[in-house]
Amino acid sequence: MPHRVPVETAPPVSNTRLAMIVLVTGESMLFAGLIGMYLVFRLAARTWPPGDLPRLPLGITGANTVALLGSLVPLSRALRAVRSGNAAAAVHGIETTAILGAIFLVVQGLEWTRLVEHGLTLGSGVYGGAFYVLIGCHAVHVLAAVVWLAVVAILARRGAFSAARHTALEMCAIYWYFVCALWVVLFPLVYLY
Amino acid sequence: MSRILLASLAVVAAASHAFAQSCAMCGSSFGPDDPVQRAFSWSILFLMAAPYTLFGSVAGWLFFKYRRTDRRRASVVHLPWASSRPAGETGGH
Repeated sequence: MPHRVPVETAPPVSNTRLAMIVLVTGESMLFAGLIGMYLVFRLAARTWPPGDLPRLPLGITGANTVALLGSLVPLSRALRAVRSGNAAAAVHGIETTAILGAIFLVVQGLEWTRLVEHGLTLGSGVYGGAFYVLIGCHAVHVLAAVVWLAVVAILARRGAFSAARHTALEMCAIYWYFVCALWVVLFPLVYLY
Repeated sequence: MSRILLASLAVVAAASHAFAQSCAMCGSSFGPDDPVQRAFSWSILFLMAAPYTLFGSVAGWLFFKYRRTDRRRASVVHLPWASSRPAGETGGH
């Protein structure tokens, strides 16, 4: 008579993935607080942005958004390649993602330099303060994720990943997805609304 | 226990709009339909919803992940003659 036995003993969600979820949830609450702060200033203001301050550059930031969200494609391909046992093919995808992330940061830095030259600084009232704190906090997270991607790319080049062993890449990908998802919320809120 | 529950329900049901008053600062500082008051209201609603949404989503995902794994494990049927066969041997008996 056939009987049922457990054939797998591994937990459905690994400890590293669980830790990553806790980290991402905590980070999400940080950004929820910042968005709450932004909403107070934005909804309470009669004119936004104030008339004497420069408007945010929509075109270049839109293109930058495409670059950031486009970076999800090579990263997803890299993950698929590693899972299917083709770790060597993943190196290019990880590097492309890191480069696109770096491009996002550089363009944002240039955009900020121009804004400061036009008079929008951290001290330009609640508008400047809210903008730089919210977008700056996201930029810091992108920077951390790019550094992480670079480390993972080096590991991938050294052949550290295989179909059975690629936790570092998976965790890095979760963080990168989180950073991109944040931007999907922040870009319309800060630049379009 | 049910009496306490009933008493609590009676108290809540009897509560009128007096419970829905703002704090002293918002009540006295802003006029009706003030944008600052509205801004704080929306922000409070957002910040109230955020943790429940986040933790609810994560808990829901974990729940379904574990339930699906349990079902998959339970659906695997162990065949006695398959385990008694030497390793590497395939085909019919």
